[in-house]
Amino acid sequence: MPDFARAQLRRQRINFGLFLGPALALLFLFFVAPIVIDLVLAFTDMGRTLQVSKLTLENFERMFTRDSRLLGALGVTFIFVLTTLTVFNVTFALLLALVTTAVPRQLGAFFRAVWLLPRMSPSVVYALLWLWVVDPNERGLLNQIVVHVFGLPPIDLRNNHPLLVIILANGFIGASLGMLIFTSAIRSIPEHLFHAARVDGAGSLAIVRHITLPAMRWPISYMTIHQTLSLLVSFEYILLITGGGPFYDTTVFSLYAYRRAFESGEYAYGAALSLVLVAIGVVAALAMWRLMDMQKLLQPPRIEVH
Amino acid sequence: MVSGDAIAGRAVAARTDWQALARRGWRTKFTAQSALLAFLILISVPILLPYFWMVVIAFTARTGGVASDVLWTACAVILPGVLVYSIVHMSVASPRLRTVAGLVLLVIVGALLVALVGSKLHLDNFRFLTRANFVEELRSKATSGAQFPSVWTAFFNSLALALSQTVIILTVSSLAGYYISRFAFRGRNGFLQGLLVLHAFPAMTLIIPIFLMLHWIGLLDTIVGVMLVLAAIELPFYVFVMKGFFDGVPWDIEMSAMTDGATRRQAFRLVVLPQVRVGLIAVAVFAFIRAWEEYIFVRTFLIENKNWVMSLYLFWVSDDVMGVDYGIVAAVAVFYVLPSLLLYVFCQKYLTQMTIGGIKG
Repeated sequence: MPDFARAQLRRQRINFGLFLGPALALLFLFFVAPIVIDLVLAFTDMGRTLQVSKLTLENFERMFTRDSRLLGALGVTFIFVLTTLTVFNVTFALLLALVTTAVPRQLGAFFRAVWLLPRMSPSVVYALLWLWVVDPNERGLLNQIVVHVFGLPPIDLRNNHPLLVIILANGFIGASLGMLIFTSAIRSIPEHLFHAARVDGAGSLAIVRHITLPAMRWPISYMTIHQTLSLLVSFEYILLITGGGPFYDTTVFSLYAYRRAFESGEYAYGAALSLVLVAIGVVAALAMWRLMDMQKLLQPPRIEVH
Repeated sequence: MVSGDAIAGRAVAARTDWQALARRGWRTKFTAQSALLAFLILISVPILLPYFWMVVIAFTARTGGVASDVLWTACAVILPGVLVYSIVHMSVASPRLRTVAGLVLLVIVGALLVALVGSKLHLDNFRFLTRANFVEELRSKATSGAQFPSVWTAFFNSLALALSQTVIILTVSSLAGYYISRFAFRGRNGFLQGLLVLHAFPAMTLIIPIFLMLHWIGLLDTIVGVMLVLAAIELPFYVFVMKGFFDGVPWDIEMSAMTDGATRRQAFRLVVLPQVRVGLIAVAVFAFIRAWEEYIFVRTFLIENKNWVMSLYLFWVSDDVMGVDYGIVAAVAVFYVLPSLLLYVFCQKYLTQMTIGGIKG
């Protein structure tokens, strides 16, 4: 090999290490390694002592045959994900995007910023706000309205309708991401289509129905899949607002895995549960990918519209 | 004027009252816009009211109670002000008049607020900033849960965590983003696909193995451990964001730099990096806010109270004194939320520039 070629090869290798090395190291150590550990851990019997004595399938056997709480957790997860997704993360997000793009630009931006506020504030603060809203005594913000405006006795949403509270709390945050993405999708529709429709005599609703909504097919599909995955595994606000309770009433699958590991010290069982959750997520995402024909999105467009 | 009259005259002759049509069109538009605006204001109330309530509690509540009358009085003053301003905004075209009207309204609302609730405001609840043992003062020593560190310990822990994580993410993601944007290397496709899978992978499910791993390598209960974990699991997203920004920088810039004798690395450092300044700021702000607000991972990985960050501090304060004193909890919350809100408000224009996979977010 000639000298200059060797020098070039050496420079390529150094560049690779210099530019990509840090990312590879970080990802392998703190992202890929935990995935591998999780895979192994799920087949062990690690408990509170953090000792592994044998490799076993016991965790999965317990999950599928003996764990009576798991079915409840699955049911809660299903209701939580489906309701939050359909009502807030897609429908309400779409509504927000449509309305904020229909008013003058600055005002629209202002209201979008308002709806982004929960996402930008720390989760503990956001959860605290909810605790103050649904506070069961008369000091609660909701009860101040219920008692003084409607003259009804104070209500205790957190204990009587805990699922509603966590759906609302997650929905208020979830709506903002969809809102942003749908807004930019609406903005990217060529302006002349709207003008042409107006000239043809279309009203505002007809324009939404025949021009805006058809252009939103891909963003809506993408958001549905993305948000299903993220709702399946998120339990931060639930842990902070209801703690998964009362009893196990709001313990979704991911929180159930967390509670098994860090409340009962059953680390191996928690890891096995997480593994099943990932499997559920992958199956759900792939099924939706097929159902919504997302493959088409990846094909190059036949006509470039600009 | 003459020609205007002539046109109007001809319009009358054609029996079409153009002015009436224009008026009707304007009226329809005004009604529709007002309805949309009213809807937006209505749905924003459930978001803004709780935040406002938090601020009111922080500045008015005393041990044992909250002042809900202050909240409603303030709302009764502010809401009409907002309504009047939106009507002005809709009907006045000149931006200067709008600003003047806004300022006048602001002064009126401010004066009314001071007159009506000014006497009830106080800063007592912010005493946690100077007195570390306020929890013991509120509850007897026996019943108060954990020993609370000074709020400044938690504050500087949070700051250290957020800043160091931001620096790591900025460095690593801009290096990697540049490399996959510009270089052809063996396994590039595989790397990109792997990165995409990691980006979609629900990292929250890895909390148990990460906990064990940190325990094994001795980084459990250290800020460094949390910092590395947070940086790693957020990294794929930021690499894609930075790649998007580098993709937008034309090749020619580097080419001419290298023709002028710069090496590849010099071209990257001196020529390309300044071009993606907006991207760097966006990534930095986003990463900082994310680390500042983190709760689940710090809750699980940080145990001793000298390692508490602000989220844990607020959580334990609310856990301990919520039933006794709302005011101090709200004050801590206001203190905690302020940095991320300020960053968000001032850097919004950079954040909206972030793109991933062709979708702005």
